[in-house]
Amino acid sequence: MSTSARPAPVNWRRALWTGRGLFETRDLVTIGLFAGAAKAVTLMLALVGGGMNPVTMILKSAVFSALWVLLLTKVPKTGALTLANTVAGLLGFFLLGQAVISLPSLILATLAVEFLIAALGGLARGPHLAVLAVALSELAMRLINLFFAYLAMREQPELMIMVLMISAASYLGILLGLFGGWKMVGELRHAGLIQD
Amino acid sequence: MPALFKTEKLPGEAAGPHPRRGLLGLLDGRRAGDRLGLAPELRLGLAVTASLAALIAGDPLALGLMLAASLLYLAAQVRPRVILAAYLALAVLAGLAAGCLWLMGFVFQALRNISLDAAVNPFLRLGLSVNLLLPLALHSRLTDLSGILNRLRLPGLIKLPLLVTIRFIPTFLNDLNQIREAVGLRFRGRGGLLFWARRPLLGWRVCFTPLVVRLIRSADELAVAAELKGLSAESDFGHRPPRLRPVDQAVAVLAALTLAGAALLEILHAAA
Repeated sequence: MSTSARPAPVNWRRALWTGRGLFETRDLVTIGLFAGAAKAVTLMLALVGGGMNPVTMILKSAVFSALWVLLLTKVPKTGALTLANTVAGLLGFFLLGQAVISLPSLILATLAVEFLIAALGGLARGPHLAVLAVALSELAMRLINLFFAYLAMREQPELMIMVLMISAASYLGILLGLFGGWKMVGELRHAGLIQD
Repeated sequence: MPALFKTEKLPGEAAGPHPRRGLLGLLDGRRAGDRLGLAPELRLGLAVTASLAALIAGDPLALGLMLAASLLYLAAQVRPRVILAAYLALAVLAGLAAGCLWLMGFVFQALRNISLDAAVNPFLRLGLSVNLLLPLALHSRLTDLSGILNRLRLPGLIKLPLLVTIRFIPTFLNDLNQIREAVGLRFRGRGGLLFWARRPLLGWRVCFTPLVVRLIRSADELAVAAELKGLSAESDFGHRPPRLRPVDQAVAVLAALTLAGAALLEILHAAA
């Protein structure tokens, strides 16, 4: 008579709290480092070039999205983008008061993009899906930010033209950074710093 | 808090009581003009509450009351010179927006007949945000963030990367300084900004590539160190409940009274 051992029930609350089965310590450390680096670089560029300078805005968006593509290539797991955006968002929230209202909806939007990418086969299929994930999540975030900006300027929606121009400039930077990140993934793979 | 984040000194970290200079100095925060020394949790709570209230409110009087109270809150924590500079920047932005509207008024006649609420409310909300976020941005320090994390019951999944970030940012800023100096030495006398404007791809390569290589190496080394120390998202990061001092409690009560007053004005405006 064979006695098959019954598998232990999954404690989902604990799994979501600690990431057990989702992420290893190595992944969490990498996500923390990339989030810190993205914040530090964007803060430095904003300080050097002035916050509202369009060149600086494009440049910092480009660096941010290139770093995110590299991160998703290094940690190609569902949930990595949401976690990275959450950590970067909380850092900006705690230190600079960024996205005080929109942070929860930004996290939910990223989660929705992650589900879409998982349905397409997951980030492990290749860096093209990492590029798509960053492009879509950044677009979703900008749309949400535009919605909150509209709420704040609802009496005079014409003022939105300034916000729209700023959002368009920063998204142009995101697209440039995606291209830069894509090229760099190839070089880093060639150098053996990122494994296939 | 685990030892990896508590005792080890990383390169680039302040070695003694002297404040760090340059970009690294920003990490220590600038406390000049802060007469209240409020708890960072209270600053965050007030910023979130006021931003929500500003989005909901539609009466200029209610928004004006909140703006006046927030200006007092700002004046108690930030030097007048900094407030003046922030409001000057705000005035330039508002002027640009108003100028755009005035020009658009020549095309769309409807824009010439806007009500007082429509003209004033967006700027009142903007001013309120500046008043609440400026103390947060000027006085928040990475060490504060470490303390807040100890007081919040966040999942280890989020706490571990955040603690890594806090420890890593000083080292990373030091790396950035080194890259900047190396690039400066290598390309000295080539025409400065004009040279980089003509060769943006070269600029991207010489600045971004070393940054990414250092980042990936640091990630691998720190990950091994964390695993060897047995650190994971399941580790006990400690928890201390927040404590508010009398001054924090007084500010919280005043903020609640202001919000109640604004709500009353909003209700009267809706009833009228």
